[in-house]
Amino acid sequence: MRSAGAPDVEPLLRELAPRVLGALARRHPGDFDSCEDAVQEALLAAARQWPGEGVPDDPRAWLVAVAGRRLVDAWRSESARRAREEGAAALEPPRALESAPGFGGGFAEAGGDDDGAGGAPDEDDSLALLMLCCHPSLSEPSQIALTLRAVGGLTTGEIAAAFLVPEATMGQRISRAKATIRAAGGRFAPASEGDARDAALRAVLHVLYLMFNEGYTATSGPRLARAELTTEAIRLVRLVRERLPDDGEVAGLLALMLLTDARRPARTGADGALVPLADQDRSRWRRAEIDEGIALVTDALAAAPPGPYQLQAAIAAVHAEAPDGDATDWRQIVALYRLLMRMLPGNPMVALNHAVAVAMVDGPEAGLALLADVEAALPRSHRPIAVRAHLLEQAGDVAGALNAYDEAARRTTSLPERRHLEARATALRAVG
Amino acid sequence: MKYLILIYDNPHSRELFSGPEGAELMAEMDVLLKEITESGELVMTEALADPAQTRTIRVVDGAPAVTDGPYAEAKEHLGGFILVDCATPERAWDIARRFPSSRFTPLEVRPIMSPGGAEM
Repeated sequence: MRSAGAPDVEPLLRELAPRVLGALARRHPGDFDSCEDAVQEALLAAARQWPGEGVPDDPRAWLVAVAGRRLVDAWRSESARRAREEGAAALEPPRALESAPGFGGGFAEAGGDDDGAGGAPDEDDSLALLMLCCHPSLSEPSQIALTLRAVGGLTTGEIAAAFLVPEATMGQRISRAKATIRAAGGRFAPASEGDARDAALRAVLHVLYLMFNEGYTATSGPRLARAELTTEAIRLVRLVRERLPDDGEVAGLLALMLLTDARRPARTGADGALVPLADQDRSRWRRAEIDEGIALVTDALAAAPPGPYQLQAAIAAVHAEAPDGDATDWRQIVALYRLLMRMLPGNPMVALNHAVAVAMVDGPEAGLALLADVEAALPRSHRPIAVRAHLLEQAGDVAGALNAYDEAARRTTSLPERRHLEARATALRAVG
Repeated sequence: MKYLILIYDNPHSRELFSGPEGAELMAEMDVLLKEITESGELVMTEALADPAQTRTIRVVDGAPAVTDGPYAEAKEHLGGFILVDCATPERAWDIARRFPSSRFTPLEVRPIMSPGGAEM
């Protein structure tokens, strides 16, 4: 329990987590999972001790030292276990142990001297960590979970709550993710230049985008549950941007997240029902986030040829700039979606959003004409059918719209979306 | 994405699990459950008691009514379930296919509704 006036150390710990793990993993690049466990233990120790005893003068050095000591402890017990299993007479330390900091001479006391904090600069370590956590051998849910733990500094229990699964399930998933990276030969390596680094960075941005969406689509949940995933995703994109301030797509993704997150207070009604973009009370959008997002995407578009995140941010900015739904510059949105389709050919979600924008400019029939291909490309999804329902309703085809609303409501696996679609159908039946 | 795998039994399939092949079937099930535990996909799994212990609860004219049964007139009854959280529906179908009772009785895989959603 925190005593009165004790510092809230959690934000500091979350900020330091990737830097401490980066420092440790840099020294032991082949043993990422042991490093990660050791850092988690050090963070827990700090969360217990610092509120009562005060924050050390150099908190990062303290954490690196404690984590390093835990790592050596883990190697010692592992080596003893192996020796027992193999029946070996000699208790030989594994090779990694011989190079472990402080081994043999007794590890430095916590907060004492530390060869990590004053050693190599760590500015790239957080990025290298992100790239390792988003390793292509992992499934997307595992990439997100591992990123939240290793870079975000969240506990397994917090991540489990965010994904609405038991802690034991999430613990297994994270352990498996670390083992998979090791088996695939993934090593902690500071980001070098070139195509491989570029691909790794794109993977990181994609994982942060998915993390944001997981949180943004949440409409209920306990503290630090799903909705906090958006806060965490924004924090982590800011972390990437500090390291890569000139990357237009990093700026674009941050802008896209800010402009989307700004709508959060208006996107659900008092009863928890989803409010469509056109019907949202725009006075409730968060102005500071909109201003920052618009400034970011404006600068990024001026500086570099636009990438997909910048274009999506530009579309979000057009929505943000309209005082109400009717004043939206849909022609500009159609033009931006055309650019996006050229950049991401065959992406059915982009094609679907383009069809919606075309309907807003040229009428529902024009949108409907574009939908058949999208439905073929997304055969299991309710989304194109939900769009068809809205467009048929606008076109005055009540029977067709009702069929499509019912079909979309049956297909969605989202409770609030199902309620929304059923409510639209009920309202239409009442007038039709 | 979470899926509920419903495992159906019939009197014959119960016999198979307790007969000479039973140990092999149980071992096969243990391998599958171990795999999905270690991968972090298993949320929970339980077996249900015999359908003879079922009680049906209804409210009739404002008063609760509890009746025994229904007894297993039906050829198949729900015998247990596995709740999994996995990356794709195909993976959930694959887990169901590999559950050993699938050779004798059907399993159903049903997506769980998510509390989140996107405004349209």
